[in-house]
Amino acid sequence: MSTSTISRRNAAPAAAPNGTARAASRRRDTLHGWGFMAPFMAFFVLFLIWPLLHGAYMSLTGKSLTGANDSFLGLANYAEALADADMWHSLGNTLYFTVISTVPLVLVALAMAGLVNMGLPAQWLWRLSFFAPFLLASTVVSLFFTWMFNPQLGLLNELLAMVGIPPVAWLNNPDVAMWSIVIATLWWTVGFNFLLYLAAMQNIPAQHYEAAQLDGAGGWRQFFSITLPQLQPTTIMIVILQVLASLKIFDQVYQMTGGGPGGATRSTVQYIFETGFTGYRLGYSSAISYIFFGLIVLVSIAQFFITRKRSA
Amino acid sequence: MANSTLLSPSRQQQPAAPAPVPAVKRRLPASRIAATVVVAFLAALWLLPFGWATITALKSETEAAATPITFFPASGFTFEAFAKVLAEGNIPQWTWNSLFTSAAITLVTLVISALAAYALSRIDFKGRKLLMGIIVASLIVPPPVLIIPLFYQMVSFHLIDTYWGIILPQVIAPAMVFVLKKFFDQIPHELEDAARVDGAGRVRIFLQVVLPLSRPILAAVAIFVFIGAWNNFLWPFIVTNDSAMLTLPVGLQTIKSAYGIQYAQNMASALLAALPLILVFLFFQRQIIKGISTTGLAGT
Amino acid sequence: MKQQQRLPEAPGRRQFLTGMGALGALLATGSLTACGGAANAAGPEDVRFWHLLSGGDGIKMAAMIDKVNASQRAFRVTPTVLAWGPPYYTKLAMASVGGRPPEVAIMHAARVPGYAPGGLLDPWDLDLLAQHGVREADFAPRIWENSKEGGKVFSIALDSHPFIMMYNTDTAAKAGVLRGDGRLEAISDPATFKAVAAELQKVTGKHGLSYGYLGDGAQMWRMFYTFYKQHGADFELVQGSRAKVDRDVAVDVLEFIAGLLDDTIATRSGDGGTAIAEFAGKASGMFFSGVWELPTMKAAGVPLDAQPIPTLFGTPAAFADSHAFVLPHQLDLNEERRRSVYAFVAEMLKGSLRWAEAGHIPAYQPVVRSAEYQALKPQAHYAGAADIINYDPRAWFTGSGSDFQAYFAENVQNVFLGRIKAKDGWDAFVKRLDTLLSKPQPV
Repeated sequence: MSTSTISRRNAAPAAAPNGTARAASRRRDTLHGWGFMAPFMAFFVLFLIWPLLHGAYMSLTGKSLTGANDSFLGLANYAEALADADMWHSLGNTLYFTVISTVPLVLVALAMAGLVNMGLPAQWLWRLSFFAPFLLASTVVSLFFTWMFNPQLGLLNELLAMVGIPPVAWLNNPDVAMWSIVIATLWWTVGFNFLLYLAAMQNIPAQHYEAAQLDGAGGWRQFFSITLPQLQPTTIMIVILQVLASLKIFDQVYQMTGGGPGGATRSTVQYIFETGFTGYRLGYSSAISYIFFGLIVLVSIAQFFITRKRSA
Repeated sequence: MANSTLLSPSRQQQPAAPAPVPAVKRRLPASRIAATVVVAFLAALWLLPFGWATITALKSETEAAATPITFFPASGFTFEAFAKVLAEGNIPQWTWNSLFTSAAITLVTLVISALAAYALSRIDFKGRKLLMGIIVASLIVPPPVLIIPLFYQMVSFHLIDTYWGIILPQVIAPAMVFVLKKFFDQIPHELEDAARVDGAGRVRIFLQVVLPLSRPILAAVAIFVFIGAWNNFLWPFIVTNDSAMLTLPVGLQTIKSAYGIQYAQNMASALLAALPLILVFLFFQRQIIKGISTTGLAGT
Repeated sequence: MKQQQRLPEAPGRRQFLTGMGALGALLATGSLTACGGAANAAGPEDVRFWHLLSGGDGIKMAAMIDKVNASQRAFRVTPTVLAWGPPYYTKLAMASVGGRPPEVAIMHAARVPGYAPGGLLDPWDLDLLAQHGVREADFAPRIWENSKEGGKVFSIALDSHPFIMMYNTDTAAKAGVLRGDGRLEAISDPATFKAVAAELQKVTGKHGLSYGYLGDGAQMWRMFYTFYKQHGADFELVQGSRAKVDRDVAVDVLEFIAGLLDDTIATRSGDGGTAIAEFAGKASGMFFSGVWELPTMKAAGVPLDAQPIPTLFGTPAAFADSHAFVLPHQLDLNEERRRSVYAFVAEMLKGSLRWAEAGHIPAYQPVVRSAEYQALKPQAHYAGAADIINYDPRAWFTGSGSDFQAYFAENVQNVFLGRIKAKDGWDAFVKRLDTLLSKPQPV
């Protein structure tokens, strides 16, 4: 699309179609092009490319937060990271979180969109309720939920008590802590997926449903036979976005449990932060972050192939 | 640091949809009622944390920490938690820090992204394909990978605990460049050609023809960049330490009270922190929702 | 034919430039205020002070700071409180590396070896301190020794807060274990200790001793290290070599402690909160705890006295750490502010009688020797612990709220719970330490 745009544009003003005018025009284009790109590229190189390369270099040294220990270590950091039980543990936590959070974040969003799409009264209220949390900073969400999860004074244990269930140590029980974080994350971000689903549903042509209704299909049948299949591209996109976002989790975990209890919820990003800043080992921490980067790249490549296959 | 991590540039722009029609024309009243009940229940559930935080924030501190838990405090509602938080804490300072840095990030990002998007869209220059490729590739880089080298860089530049330390890495938004480029691609050439015939140079065309036509997308990008910058936690957390330089989300998390955990005040602080963007949402609801639904813009 | 979008009138170029100009001006002013800010020529010096104390300690600290601020006009101290433990220490290190840390901060003295060698702290100028009335002679020898790193003084202790024993005088009287002067009878071996605990248990009907440790590496370590050091054993951690520890003594101590947790003398699996509640509720006769719990017990109305933990194994010893003032390294040192810090710290030390009310033992001896302090009961009864304190073994990863105590918890909790043998837990802990020591020191 862009190429045709540009070749059309080039065709227009050429008054004298001889070589020199074209060449001059090209040179001027290149000058302009780089001129327009320059501000972005300056920041891009300074604050993305350079740190990316420098971080890779740091991962090969024993660099410390205090600046000490600049020695070149080769791949020793990577070897250590791959043998580091804590690193695998935090990676496991991250993957666990990704799986148990992606499922509800897709299903609940789908249910919400399905309900709202039925054209019920007070649409604006439902949209507002489901989406408003998305605009909060992670700290606010964590404050809300840490308070609700409070063992003695929290709302959730109070509600449980009302139905006779003993209190739960939401954030202090290693078996429950990750689920508590999933609950908070679900509340926080489901609104985004909800909007994506809602938009996709509203774009399904009405004729499909009319035809189905003429054939005598009821509401649920229509949902499963028409709506869901039509939503497949959206679902795939949402799942991919969700997985990529979940792998990078840090905020809520750090804020609600600090990675505890006993490291049960510590995510990879938090481990990177702790190794580098609490433990001072910037070099080693960089190695872990590049291993993590490798994982993200793999997932992204998988995404690329999945979406490619679908549109083929 | 890229503040849009959820945008996929390959997402096709949705064809302009006709006015949304309810997916199913006529439903039995019973199922509609049931559905309304369910959605109302869900909405109530989703509003619950806000409600509970508000009730807590309006209690006195002793009431908030008392058992059994009350929904309507015996000693009545009071604003003392809010008053205390505003008088004694750093929230006004942090709010200003957030406002300033988010505004700066938004402005700079918008300018450099629009310029770059225009070049990529309209100018056939040497190296264009290469740059596009690099920028697309950069979308894969997760921000957490960069925090360590960026921190080290900010230390070297002496930008730790400064506004520019917070701002600079956050103005890079490759995703926004592509969003803008897609929009520019669709602007008809006749308008630019007409201006060129009138003798306008590239810069003038950009400023006087392209930008004015792009107001909706520029506004949408600005809103999303602003929201992302305001809510960003990880980078400001890393680059600031001084309590006077923290942004609002970071301040709330890092600074504690000498008096121990004050529940009512915590909730009051959280609500005050939530307020600015909720207001933004109420004003720009349409754009935000449209932005997510149609072009897939993300705020995170 | 592409559809032309109907849009409202675009702002003209002039309006655009005016708008940009206004925003630019806003940003410029913002930048100026951000870049360090103009030095206060005529006003009081701004001294930023970081600490990690909240709750009862926090309130006392806030009061002491207010007093110093109110008493003079040359400088004004602004405190900032961060969460206790790793969040505080991580941020302090990052702030020092960043070049604009607070002018003065509190650290646990045992954590200084993780900061000073890396250049994150500046040493104290002893002459300047002397000018403000603070000298080496004003501190207990062990505290002063511990404040040095490479021959220079890096921390000035405000207090020492050892692990001590409180006891309920009423219960003790009923159990017949009080001396003539109303103090607990002398206990100098494990058997006597258990006997006394048993007597107390008979009176309370619940337990003889309150000790909480579940999920709390610090509590476990404090108790362990006290008894370990009472054996006179060494605990040395040198980077590059294996941990120098006495395995037999360690296993002995762990077994002894586990032996106390038999649900008669002490509850088998209590956490800190449970132990506090138990002693405060008079359901036990003795309480092993840090000195900082004193105000809670007094407020609960427990008739108590206190003393250093009885010497059961020959050498008087107590675990302790200190809250100490340090000077984070500044990129751009403001001399005036630095001098204000000295004045501030001197004032805080001189006013540390207030701090003693929170249970801590002031490090500044003139206060300890004063009549007012000697009149404080039971603080005066355990002040002697300051002479027998043992700080954490010196290493960059030890000290209050450090990973070291977390590692201890991971391996020892199951020993106390009776799930694994003492020697297995101990060996696993030492293995962890050796791994850490085998790597190059990152400081």
